[in-house]
Amino acid sequence: MSIVKMEYVNIVGLESSLNDVLLRIIDSGCFHIEPSIKTIPEEGDEFKPLTETNPYSDLLKLLIDLDFGGHFKYKQVGFEELLGKPLSELEDFADSMKKQTNEISSRIRNLEDTIQRRNKELILLKHLQNMNVDLQELFNIKNIRIRFGRLPVDSYPKLGYYSNKHFEFVPYDTDKNYMWGIYFTPVNFVDETDKIFNSLYFERVWIPDFVKGTPHEGSSIIKKMIFDLERSLDEAEKERTDFIKENADMLNKVYCRVTFLYNLFSLRSYASVLKGKFYIVGFVPQKQIKKFTEMFDTLNDVSIVVKPPDSEPAFSTPVQLKNNAFSKPFSMFVEMYGLPSYKGFNPTNLVAITYTLLFGIMFGDLGQGLMLSLIGYLIYSKTKNKLAAIMTRVGFSSAFFGFIFGSVFGFENLLNPVYKSIGLKHKPLDVMENTDNIIIWAICLGIILILISIVLNISIKLKNKNYTEALFNNNGIAGFVFYSALLAALALKAYKHINLFTPAYVICLLILPILLMFFREPLGCLAERKKFHMESGIGDFIATNFFEVFEFLLGYATNTLSFVRIGGFVFSHAGMMSVVMLLADSAAKGASPIVIVIGNIFVMGMEGLIVGIQVLRLEFYEIFSRFYDGDGRSFEPVKVNYDPVIN
Amino acid sequence: MILDFSKNATIARIRTFYGKRITTEQYRDLASKKSVEEAAEYLKKNTHYATALANIDTNSIHRGFLEDILRKEHFNTYVKFCKFQQLNTEEFYKYFIVWLEIVEILNRIRHINADTNDEYIIDLPSFLINKASFDLIEMAKAKNFRELLGVLRNTPYYNILKNKAVDENGKVDFNLCEMDLRTYYLKWLINVVEKHFKGQSKEKLRLQIMTQIDLINIINAYRMKSIFHASNDEVRKNVLPYHGRISVKQQNELIESDNVSSFLSILSKTIYGKQLDNITECTDSIQFEKQISKLRFNLAKRALLFSENAAVSLYSAIYIFEVEVDNITRIVEGIRYGKDSSYMESLIIT
Repeated sequence: MSIVKMEYVNIVGLESSLNDVLLRIIDSGCFHIEPSIKTIPEEGDEFKPLTETNPYSDLLKLLIDLDFGGHFKYKQVGFEELLGKPLSELEDFADSMKKQTNEISSRIRNLEDTIQRRNKELILLKHLQNMNVDLQELFNIKNIRIRFGRLPVDSYPKLGYYSNKHFEFVPYDTDKNYMWGIYFTPVNFVDETDKIFNSLYFERVWIPDFVKGTPHEGSSIIKKMIFDLERSLDEAEKERTDFIKENADMLNKVYCRVTFLYNLFSLRSYASVLKGKFYIVGFVPQKQIKKFTEMFDTLNDVSIVVKPPDSEPAFSTPVQLKNNAFSKPFSMFVEMYGLPSYKGFNPTNLVAITYTLLFGIMFGDLGQGLMLSLIGYLIYSKTKNKLAAIMTRVGFSSAFFGFIFGSVFGFENLLNPVYKSIGLKHKPLDVMENTDNIIIWAICLGIILILISIVLNISIKLKNKNYTEALFNNNGIAGFVFYSALLAALALKAYKHINLFTPAYVICLLILPILLMFFREPLGCLAERKKFHMESGIGDFIATNFFEVFEFLLGYATNTLSFVRIGGFVFSHAGMMSVVMLLADSAAKGASPIVIVIGNIFVMGMEGLIVGIQVLRLEFYEIFSRFYDGDGRSFEPVKVNYDPVIN
Repeated sequence: MILDFSKNATIARIRTFYGKRITTEQYRDLASKKSVEEAAEYLKKNTHYATALANIDTNSIHRGFLEDILRKEHFNTYVKFCKFQQLNTEEFYKYFIVWLEIVEILNRIRHINADTNDEYIIDLPSFLINKASFDLIEMAKAKNFRELLGVLRNTPYYNILKNKAVDENGKVDFNLCEMDLRTYYLKWLINVVEKHFKGQSKEKLRLQIMTQIDLINIINAYRMKSIFHASNDEVRKNVLPYHGRISVKQQNELIESDNVSSFLSILSKTIYGKQLDNITECTDSIQFEKQISKLRFNLAKRALLFSENAAVSLYSAIYIFEVEVDNITRIVEGIRYGKDSSYMESLIIT
């Protein structure tokens, strides 16, 4: 149901036609390719996989690795004018680009490195500002070597390990990550000490020869040098930007052409070959199969065989969801959780209906709902974002429930004339007057959704012959009987004063299902005619199942109560909007429209987001988790990937 | 423990942090960097390591120092989550420190055996110095196995190692030490889980630990067969005395397989093998280990997303972020040694 029907396709032909076939496969846009070698038995002298080195990978890699300094990203463009060009011409172009970009980049890097070095020297001298000593004199001390620099704070405790070595580290400044300091060591031990400090990631800062006099005097010289270097760097950067601008068009074309050739050649690895013949397999949607096979009519030495999708056990059939115009964007939520299996159940329609319904109830406001739809529509028409399409749909639901609750941008009485004109005395449902009922209705809605989910689980698991899950689990028949019997008895006792808790009722409909859930594993094995193995003793079996059944029972209660949030959000919306109105009333004259507008924007943004997340949480935790596995494989037709990646 | 909802704030915090993990796209960007410095700068500007690298000068950063910072940040993340709701007072939450202590002891033994005592101090993670149950600097100073035992005297590790034979060259059987220490850790961890958790939480933690054990055993057996061409008995000695979702029969079949290809063929029929594509055609040991490790990674991801227990969330998240640090380390190492970005991308687990 609601999953696109697939066909399994075998393509066989002469190896000389392989490229033409692959070109048509890319053009078709509907062929999900599979490694054909998987279908061939290991034994025997049969087809072998086609293993070749992709001749375009070096060129593509060269293009991807061109150093644009992060100022250029390839775009997908047409490359018709390059179709006749030989590969060598494209290679020459790429080589020339590499040479020129490398030259500019290395110049820029050198300048950056030098500026970096000078800045580091400047920082070091800043730390030494209070030393009124000529630095050159320090370096001229005989028999002692001095190193300036910084040691990572984490390395400092490790110096304790070297307590018997011949050096002294004097920290003179500490920041969050480094200790700035000097180490002194006798000339005879300088190599050993340098090695130790290197291993501790001590970063030595050299004071250049041109720095004369005190640290303060040295700083002025370095500052002037940095100024000049930065000017040269700006000029080099401009040169690079101009170069990219000049060549961008051709770079994109060459890149796209090479990427296409690379991707086309990569597809050859899916083929198997034997004595000059190739063999390709894959899946095509049933609806497109005729058009697909017709594309190969002109290739006389190629034949196509179409089979049912389950005819090859090596592959699980890929899944493409088939949804109607309304539910289509909601597939985003389903995919987020995981696709159904090919013979599984596509829950998109269920999600679309329940999400729209729950969102509308929890965010009921006619004005805000319509506004949400409008914003969603505008975003969708620009970006084709699925979430925006969902906003459009749920917005109408909010508007509908807003009409029922009589709320328009927080104005609770604005619709009264409308109600009167259609013959109603007042709004159909006053939220604040019906708090108890709303909570009860929310729980009832939750119970219905939970029961629907359990029924779905039973039908799916029966279809898959998983009798343990279908019959004895908390989401199986045992769970369904227990949950519905308990709720029915409680409801009748509370509202009709009918006591169903008779011994027969309790034993048959409450205790028996609990026992079935407790012994679900051995019973399931019995039903599936499998042998039951108790993995770790009877004591462990009882303890584990006791806690699990306890958790199931607890789960029924918590999951049911979880739906109270539907009612909670109805009040929360009404409450938040009444605060906005209160603030508007107390605001200065003229400011109240602004308060109302800002308040509405705030409530729409914050509450809309929270309600969206909460409904999704209900979908995933309370509904999906009962029946849905999400272990299907996505249908991914072959196409050229223009992202700068080499596989 | 099953009714313990008081740690929901920790779960929410862990999930929020999980949302900041490095994406495949970011790994790709990182792998395209030309130098370690550029990679560090990228991490500083674009990832959740920004705070850890905030005051670090990435222009001259050493690869080892960068790795130290990332590992420290990973450890700090664990400490932060544990402290948030005083989880560190519960026994389970010591697991990461116990594990790191064992890793350090094994490192130390490796250096003693290799006679590279002075090199150990370089590898020693400073962040552990004040957290470990014994003096790590003193352990670094130990010149031989006897002195190492002296440092470990008041720890549970002493009894595990005290009877290990030392040969005439001062070396101990590293594999035996590794097996015994790992077995001690897993036994301790399983006991803690059994004692302090119930229901789904216990099952989820057990599943992760047992999967971890199975995967360690699979990787060990594969390495011994493919790289060291070890005998079945030697392989058996390096198998942890537990098994999770692999039966004893399957484990024995794997150990007794005649060669790597039959090993892979047997593996493909196990619960793990069925989750792997083309495992029987995998001839590269690095790719094999990557595929196997990815199974645990996927399990941890799923557990983190759906768990309602702080311990499960933390255990999963710490593993996920450990994999993240390993991924970054591999990429940075690849950049340092001029490897192709596509090669680096093929090594990472996402």
